[in-house]
Amino acid sequence: MLSVDDQLSMALLVRKDLEMTPGKVAVQCAHAAVDCSLQARKAIPQIFEMWRNTGSRKICLVALDEEDILYWKEKCAEVGLVHSLVRDAGRTEVSAQTITVLGVGPAHKTSLDDLFSNLDLYGVE
Amino acid sequence: MGFRSFLHRITAPKTAHKVENRPLKLVLIINHSLRMKKGKIAAQVGHASVQTLLSAGSVIPHIVDAWLAQGQKKVCVKAEDEQQMNELSSKAKQANLHTSKTIDAGHTQIPKGSYTVLAIGPGYEAEIDEITGHLSLL
Repeated sequence: MLSVDDQLSMALLVRKDLEMTPGKVAVQCAHAAVDCSLQARKAIPQIFEMWRNTGSRKICLVALDEEDILYWKEKCAEVGLVHSLVRDAGRTEVSAQTITVLGVGPAHKTSLDDLFSNLDLYGVE
Repeated sequence: MGFRSFLHRITAPKTAHKVENRPLKLVLIINHSLRMKKGKIAAQVGHASVQTLLSAGSVIPHIVDAWLAQGQKKVCVKAEDEQQMNELSSKAKQANLHTSKTIDAGHTQIPKGSYTVLAIGPGYEAEIDEITGHLSLL
């Protein structure tokens, strides 16, 4: 059994200012999750497998706007976490190439918590 | 045509699976009766997508690769309840489409074992629409 410190998780940062419908948000998060998975499977296969075997935890957090999400992307690159920025194809609600979601991980929950401790949970209201 | 390429053409193995040049998509059907919050839905749909990627990746890798190359189109719709999801799932299976069922671990908003998302695809848009076309967008 893993201790809480060893738990693995994936964080999905969603831009709040775009006011996307729930379905749109879900799909964008799925894009990010698939992208991160593909990267992680190559780059950190052991962590990826362990994450898959422990329930593939995912958490949705709030990013305020494009500037905010790009700031977090930089941070992830600095720390060396697997991450993926989703740009929408722009066929439906938002214009083409709009940045919608940043996926981070799978990574140890502690390192995600360190980074994102002051972000709110997305969509719990 | 040179001799070598001619030889290659007649001796090379045929590609086992040919992907037609038609749009592919993955449809994610959420269980509306659970009244999940936005963030929860997003995470569940994420689970369903990754699960599909891995399971479909070993069954229909040619379709998955083509779907990823086309920009991994996903559509999120809602079903009324578990019963409707089961009906859709069996229809999809009859049509030989890949399906994947997501069951929640129940750590947060809803009871353990809740059937949250049914994923159908990736498959040809036209074939999937026959099954899910009538469902409303989320």
